[in-house]
Amino acid sequence: MSFSLNEIEATAKRATRGAGYPWGLAEEAAKATRWLAAHDLDACAELAALLTRIDGVPLADLSPFPMGTTWVAPGGTLCPLASGAALSDRAAELSDAGFRLEQVVRPALLVPFAALIAQQNRRPVTLRWQGGGAVTDGTALDLCGTALDLAPLVEVTPGGQIDVATPIRSRAQPAPEAWATLNRFAHRTYAPATEESRLKGAGAGLSDND
Amino acid sequence: MDTAPNRQIQRRDPATVMRLSRLGSLHQCRLSFMRILTRRMAHENWSFSRPVFRIDAAGVGYAVYTAQGPDRAYSLVAFAHDLPPEMRSDRVIATAWDATFTLFDGIPTEDDINRLSQNVPLQEAGRVSECEISVSRANRSVRLWAHVVDALASGQQPDRAEIDKVGYLMRTTAVYGSGKLGAADREQIADRPEMQVPFQAEMLSVYLTRVFVRDLVQHMARAKGGEGAVDLDPELARRMGIGNSTGLGMAPYIVNHPVLFNNWVMAREEAIARVRGVATASPDAAAQFRQMLRRSEVSLGQWRSEHPIQLAKLGDLRRDMEVLSRHVAGDDLLNDQPWDRLMRWAEGALSEEGQELIASLILEPYPDLVDGLASCMADGNPGAFRIDGAMPISELRALIAASYAWAFDLDWSAPENCARAWYVSEEKLEPRLGERFDEPIAEYEQPLAPARDAAAAHAALADWDGARPVAEFLLAHPEHRHTVRRAQMSRVAPYGEIHDNTISASVLPINMLRAKLAFFGAIHFDPRSDRWVRICMYAGAPYPEDLSPETADDWVYPEVPA
Repeated sequence: MSFSLNEIEATAKRATRGAGYPWGLAEEAAKATRWLAAHDLDACAELAALLTRIDGVPLADLSPFPMGTTWVAPGGTLCPLASGAALSDRAAELSDAGFRLEQVVRPALLVPFAALIAQQNRRPVTLRWQGGGAVTDGTALDLCGTALDLAPLVEVTPGGQIDVATPIRSRAQPAPEAWATLNRFAHRTYAPATEESRLKGAGAGLSDND
Repeated sequence: MDTAPNRQIQRRDPATVMRLSRLGSLHQCRLSFMRILTRRMAHENWSFSRPVFRIDAAGVGYAVYTAQGPDRAYSLVAFAHDLPPEMRSDRVIATAWDATFTLFDGIPTEDDINRLSQNVPLQEAGRVSECEISVSRANRSVRLWAHVVDALASGQQPDRAEIDKVGYLMRTTAVYGSGKLGAADREQIADRPEMQVPFQAEMLSVYLTRVFVRDLVQHMARAKGGEGAVDLDPELARRMGIGNSTGLGMAPYIVNHPVLFNNWVMAREEAIARVRGVATASPDAAAQFRQMLRRSEVSLGQWRSEHPIQLAKLGDLRRDMEVLSRHVAGDDLLNDQPWDRLMRWAEGALSEEGQELIASLILEPYPDLVDGLASCMADGNPGAFRIDGAMPISELRALIAASYAWAFDLDWSAPENCARAWYVSEEKLEPRLGERFDEPIAEYEQPLAPARDAAAAHAALADWDGARPVAEFLLAHPEHRHTVRRAQMSRVAPYGEIHDNTISASVLPINMLRAKLAFFGAIHFDPRSDRWVRICMYAGAPYPEDLSPETADDWVYPEVPA
């Protein structure tokens, strides 16, 4: 089925929140998923795989502990959303030495954050991992390799050249199972309906047959 | 004519403008989205047609209304239904309506209409495509509908007093845009000149809906009365607008789009400041203001509500009008920055309803100073989303304080200060507001209490070295990312934050609804509860056959009876 990018973003935000992330990271996950979808990736599958894998793990275990230029997670694997946000927060610190991120889950989800850095620094950013990588100038994306569940090492460096840009899409066709997974996570943010909330919560107790 | 130079006047302080009680007292103005649309369509000489009207004697079928602009056409595809009364509800959780609509991007083919006929009547349970820009539905005002059909069927015109009591034959109960239900994203149309101003597609959809409703009521009267039926007197038809019934869903919108909402408020505040800076008004400008003031009094006379909150506000506004009329009778409104003098006088003499009415009315004589600001009302700043992690913590603290210093000393654990929680129900994802201490909803709370969250972030920042970068704080405290983002957005959006507690025991969501609806151009706000409001749109507006540069703008003010 064809979805608007707004639908992708809204569902990604709810799903990420439903998986236990704070609202601010859920907002960034939503923008990131939309950005990837607009660049012709199955972004929902990336997010669904991430949320399924880290479900129940405390965010602190998955968040980078930056020691200079090499980042590792206390729990062993890095969340690309927490890492991406931390990278974006440090856009100004990205030097030619780059950053090295170890054991990154679903590294493709780092790419939209690299785009934020490229926009901020007005210079392309290159991500490299085993068997793949990406270059983005903030607008266009050159992606190579296949989707990876876990990258032992992701190198983030300034510069790079876009040879073949991905097509830009205004709609998304997420894989049905990925979409269903996101909606299952999103459902955790919805309050179960009670008779009291039905009557009072929206505040429309009067008849509309007038 | 005096040629004293205009004086620079500052925009009003967000701490004044962004209080909920004032936002809940806003009135439409030259920058309202409906008026921007009718002005544009008239000046660009848009043409309108009704290529299809296939509706049976029971009132079931569909129709197409096409608006042709200079570069593109847009079509309202309307489906009319026979709705049993027990199914008529304005709530999100309704599943059937008297009429359902979509705004099609272009002119639909038979195949398009066939596809839409299987989806649009289902609303949230259906799907539309990138060829559709909005999806909406409407319910009849049962009493007025029956009265008008019966009168016309029997060859009589309906009673004007009955029409004025309600103001509309149908009220929309949701207008979905921006990619909802599979429709086109805002980004798909945002670069078109006619869609650059926010909500122009939705306002066009409602404008065409009003034409459809007029045609449908006449059709039903003919079906009932046959040869003896008459058409609606155009003057009576023009009095009728389209109602809208709005629940809580609109309130989160203005919190969730701080840059966009800022741009609306800031455009109006800039317009007010520009007009206040006018050194001397021409006699024509003063006369035009007086005329719009008299016409506003007529509109106020037609404004009805049974809700105690609005009744009190209407009482204030009627007193304001009397005081104001006496005041301007003794002032020529020509010299010494007359509009600034009037605004400063109003601050001490009128309620917030009256102050905001004046603020909107003084813009009327100055299209050259005001109307161009419409192009500043969209959110064209996606970059504001990115957090600047290099910002020193001291600067972040100052930004939070600028919008929320008032919130730091509130006891946020006191029940009266956090009594409510905003949440989304699993029932059709209806937004609701509940009692935190009485209902099991806290774990589902939406981030719609920015003041509480700002106070919490500010407290968490207390022990941090002000010279350190925000990035370090956020790594330790990711739960404050959304607050930090908002605080940094306030650099470009000083009017983006509500300076009040949105979860207090006494919060009135209708204030948030009214603020948004006033920017749409709605009038006659009629709260049904503290979180639900009915309004009227396009009452007095010219129908397409009468739309011209002369009729396109002042229609919102009813003529003074001779």
